[in-house]
Amino acid sequence: MGCPPEEALAPRRGEELMDLDNVVEGVEARSESLLPRTTCCIIRRILDNALALDLDEIVIDEGYGKCDAARGLVEVLEGLLEIPIVRTQNENREAAGTPICDSDLPVLRKMELILEGLVRPQKIDLPGEPKPRAAIWGVPAADLSIYELLPDGAQVLGWTRCLENRTPADWELEMYVPEGVPTVFYAQTFCPKNVVAQHLARRHHGLHVDADGVLSQPVRAKIEAFLRFRGAWARAA
Amino acid sequence: MAVLGDFGTTWTKLLDTETGQRRVVPTREARDVKADIATGHNARRRAPRHVNELIALAQGGGRLISEAQFLVLDVGSRDVKYVHMRRGELAGMDWTTTCGALTGFTLELLGRYYGLDYDAIEPSAKSVPVTCAVLGMEQLFELVSEGVSEEEAVARFARGIAMNAYRFIGEPKQFYLSGGMCDNRLFLRSFPEEVEVRPLGRFVLVEGLVGEPERASVGGRGGE
Repeated sequence: MGCPPEEALAPRRGEELMDLDNVVEGVEARSESLLPRTTCCIIRRILDNALALDLDEIVIDEGYGKCDAARGLVEVLEGLLEIPIVRTQNENREAAGTPICDSDLPVLRKMELILEGLVRPQKIDLPGEPKPRAAIWGVPAADLSIYELLPDGAQVLGWTRCLENRTPADWELEMYVPEGVPTVFYAQTFCPKNVVAQHLARRHHGLHVDADGVLSQPVRAKIEAFLRFRGAWARAA
Repeated sequence: MAVLGDFGTTWTKLLDTETGQRRVVPTREARDVKADIATGHNARRRAPRHVNELIALAQGGGRLISEAQFLVLDVGSRDVKYVHMRRGELAGMDWTTTCGALTGFTLELLGRYYGLDYDAIEPSAKSVPVTCAVLGMEQLFELVSEGVSEEEAVARFARGIAMNAYRFIGEPKQFYLSGGMCDNRLFLRSFPEEVEVRPLGRFVLVEGLVGEPERASVGGRGGE
């Protein structure tokens, strides 16, 4: 859960690892009755996954890179489950690099690689995108279809970039936004990161959006219109 | 030459670019109508090519308004959206993503229910708070039960909707209005007196589709 430090994951690499933050097909939503309605969909998803899957233990990052909701969820999980919950704090500052975030791949593919990377680390050579036409800042979205709205090679910023870099508590990296690139600032609805997302969107003339689970038509339309009128597609021609 | 359509929740607006013919039909009676390019809530099912409403609104405003800077507010049946353009660039936009029930649809419904002529009702200085559709309707019926005339209660309601929309667009001194509410005289007069509201009619989004096929060749999702 979250981005635990490699020293906590390394001894478990031979086991079947699962990232509880990610979608697991067929998992039933049971968290609604156990969490406040103002809980973000990723926290709800983690609880749904933890309740549904037959797990031996849960390794969590509850350091600076995680929110109070995640720390609270650990307490909830300890009350509900009988398996060990291993608490870690990932304060790593040794950069693993961000070749996926900066590559020329379609953004959805970038996200798939980053999200899979925690449990299945892999070294792949990727051509970089020298002039990204757009960027998306934020945490990994619950509805991955948001990434299909961006042009190929759009740069990935924010906490997702910290995740690929394996430095989830690196605030400076999280706040990095290149000048002059049309940027969508995304956070899950109810996530405290909306405060900084909105602030950065104002500062960098970007677009701030939030979504609770499935992306609504108006949010999609706003992203499409923003990218179109900021020239993200015209520059592709 | 093409048929362009704005397939809204309640009304469908069609423009035949060959004949110039314009039609407004209830969406429930236009289930079999197809267009070449479409926008609106039901667009995806009605045309091979779909353009989202914010893009259509911005482009339609650009075609109909000669000023370099404009803000156009579209009050639809179930939602409110606006775009603010400055020299062809997007300066601001938003689209209500939460409860949009207190828009054109509700006013139409109330008009039919009470048999009101919106041209003949004077705007009210008071307003019903309409943040929530259910509570807003409840307050309106409460006013009527207290002896306030149906016309006055609905006028307060219309002012509540207008003020909500006006705050939503950032309270400018002047703006353009798009959508069916352009034909509702009470609604038009329910904005603050000092504000200049310029109605553009119901075809702004359809106008935004004119020339769209050519633009598609330069790429861009959201117009496919």
